[in-house]
Amino acid sequence: MSVFREHKTTADRSASDRRRHKKRIEDALKQGIHGIVADESIMGQNGNKKFKIPVRGIKEYRFIYGDNSGKQVGSAPGKDIKRGQKIGDASDDQAQGPGRKGSDEKGEEFYDVEITLDELAQYLFDDLELPDLERRQLANINNEKLKRNGYRSDGIMPRLDRKKSAIARIKRMKAAGFDPDKAEEGETFPFHEDDLKYRHYKKKEEPCTNAVIFFIMDVSGSMSQDKKFLARSFCFLMYQFLRSKYEQIELVFITHDMEAREVDEEAFFTQYTSGGTIVSTAIELTREIIDKRYHPSSWNIYTFQCSDGDNFASDNVKYLEEVVALKSICQLFGYCEIDPDKNNLAYSYESGAYQTIYDLLQPLKGRNLQTSYIIKKEDVWKAFKTILGGVEKDGG
Amino acid sequence: MDYSLDDLMQWDEKIWDIAVNKYKLDPYEIEYETIDYYEMIGAMAHHGMPSMYNHWSFGKAFERTHAMYNLGMEGLPYELIINSNPSIAYLMRENPLPLQILIMAHCAGHSDFFKNNRMFKNTRPENVVQRMRAAKKRIQSYVEDPTIGIDEVEKVIDACHAIQFQTTKHGLRRRSQDEIRDELIEELKKAKEENDRSKQTKLELRLDTIPLEPDYDILGFISENAKLPNWKKDIIETLRDEGQYFWAQIQTKVANEGFSCAVHYKICHDLELPSELHLPIIKSHNQVVRPHIGGINPYHLGFHIFAHIEKKFGWEECLIAREACHDGSFIRQYLDEELCSELNLFSYSKRRNKSIVIDDVADEEGWKNIRDELATSVGGGSIPVILVEEVRRNGELILRHEHDGRDLDADHAHKVVDHVRSLWGDRVRLLARINDTLTSID
Repeated sequence: MSVFREHKTTADRSASDRRRHKKRIEDALKQGIHGIVADESIMGQNGNKKFKIPVRGIKEYRFIYGDNSGKQVGSAPGKDIKRGQKIGDASDDQAQGPGRKGSDEKGEEFYDVEITLDELAQYLFDDLELPDLERRQLANINNEKLKRNGYRSDGIMPRLDRKKSAIARIKRMKAAGFDPDKAEEGETFPFHEDDLKYRHYKKKEEPCTNAVIFFIMDVSGSMSQDKKFLARSFCFLMYQFLRSKYEQIELVFITHDMEAREVDEEAFFTQYTSGGTIVSTAIELTREIIDKRYHPSSWNIYTFQCSDGDNFASDNVKYLEEVVALKSICQLFGYCEIDPDKNNLAYSYESGAYQTIYDLLQPLKGRNLQTSYIIKKEDVWKAFKTILGGVEKDGG
Repeated sequence: MDYSLDDLMQWDEKIWDIAVNKYKLDPYEIEYETIDYYEMIGAMAHHGMPSMYNHWSFGKAFERTHAMYNLGMEGLPYELIINSNPSIAYLMRENPLPLQILIMAHCAGHSDFFKNNRMFKNTRPENVVQRMRAAKKRIQSYVEDPTIGIDEVEKVIDACHAIQFQTTKHGLRRRSQDEIRDELIEELKKAKEENDRSKQTKLELRLDTIPLEPDYDILGFISENAKLPNWKKDIIETLRDEGQYFWAQIQTKVANEGFSCAVHYKICHDLELPSELHLPIIKSHNQVVRPHIGGINPYHLGFHIFAHIEKKFGWEECLIAREACHDGSFIRQYLDEELCSELNLFSYSKRRNKSIVIDDVADEEGWKNIRDELATSVGGGSIPVILVEEVRRNGELILRHEHDGRDLDADHAHKVVDHVRSLWGDRVRLLARINDTLTSID
């Protein structure tokens, strides 16, 4: 005998399981970022560009049989089959043959998650707790702006509002009972001084939301393609992060060996020269460009420098002077050292040790000067956080 | 819903009468719950269990089914019934009446199979619902324990899931190390009395190894021999129990579904339904037992084997088969040349050049090979056999794959060994023959 009943509808039972599953996907997404940033040109892309990220890590592994899994049995549609007959090709994905079931069970559970740059940045930065950072380093510069603020009956001629003035005159004319159609010849109703309306402006302090990012890259002989990839990932994160904080961002790319030049994004990541390194030239050029185009009173200025730490020893003092001058006008100066090559470094006679730019900058570290280093790609995220001074939620 | 619970109850009464009196079935009482499609997807994610511990994998299962259903790629299963006493089964409100009749008849078959098939002997269906509910509570308490937390708990469950079905063959009870030791010591005593030197030495050497005999129940072995905090041991034991509970169903998929299809087919015939009810039932039945070209549909294969058994030996033999068989023995015993040929079965394999080629067709020469391939790979045979071979002096756990002509997937094996290591808490190594080479995976 059986019992029948309506199922007691409880709260959505698997809701919390689905939440945990979602979290796993998001975690996996974050790991997928290296694949993206090493790809194509991304910095200048708008936020709607979509990427496919293969998401791993949510696969459930068990012992299963592999490729060489022996014979399998299936049902044929009819009798017209014979031994040795080829019925499919395992190397062909489209094969509708009996092999399909087997490969399904092996279950390549790659979730190709399609995601826009904006969403990706969201995922990445959601988990970043940036203590005081926004207030401190992203402190918006206030800018005086003139804002319209109603009309006044006195003012200067350039601010005369013709429409408002005409309306005022018509009002007065109606009130006076004057009808231009019935008016006698020569009789007019001229503007009175009280009709004239002037636009009124008020000075208002507006937060300035413009930012400019200077990316500086050492393209001398020692910066290999691998190092540039790491630098690129780092720059990408910085760009994405700041982009989510400002309405408008301009990018300036500067490369240097023994001299500095402003280049476009493509050249920035691909240029390669064989010369030596004089880092101060790049900082000098940055300051020049700021002077000409990005006055600190109306621009938030960020400078990020990527280098493998090498510099002519004779240039070190000049470089430090330049950095001190630059950091005083920057919201943030971040220096990221990429995989320094110990064989290739200047020897410091004072300390008796090989010294990189990273070492050089340590005494200057402070509120708006941060340093970090990247040896392998897993360090990129860490370097990003260090330079922004953030900590990740969940301690992760 | 153009019918009431009362209607269902009346149909069920008739079904039950035929099942018990005409076909001599002996099912558990069944509790039917009516649910909507969304609740059905939720119930499926939890394998039909009324309560289930929390784990992200159930969320994943839900999302997957839900997505497939919405895309129209997959229908929902007609029936979902669990092996409990009483059995709990779900009826989707969206189903039309004929389909509900078919499902109820089908469930009578499943419930009878659960109660009588010997693979289910140790599944303790009388309290599985309570066990699961208690397990959910305990696991939740570990999640909420600030010294443990959800990440740790998930890690252990992940690892247990990976080896949950690495268990004793055919639901045999695992013998503890102590039991085996006592037995060996007993034998040793006897050997000493008989002054059998070589036997004595052999037994002494054996007594010196862990495990004393190869252990197929990896979770059972770890739970017994690893140093574990109580909560971890509890989760391992709980998931081991769950694994053994579901193992019975994995091993009997073809026989269980085949038997239930045979039962619903016969009962629906005997109900002498008006054609507006009977025709939709026939249609659904044909849909369920259609062959999957190039693969095996357990409903199709099982239904036809039972029909064949009845034709050859009578219904009594069907009842014996449903009691005694798991899928392997079921196929070995009852799939003959005639049926093999009728079902157009063939075997195939992938060649070195990646092409898929037919090896055998169901003729006089080939049918036995097909039967044997099928018996080996079906049901529990789809899961590679791994055993605990040895714990070395340095604490390293050695696992071995019992090679039966099929190689392990090395990628997956690596990941599973990582899981085992996290449970065992020391080094773990798996020995496997892959591409004719003895491979060590660690």
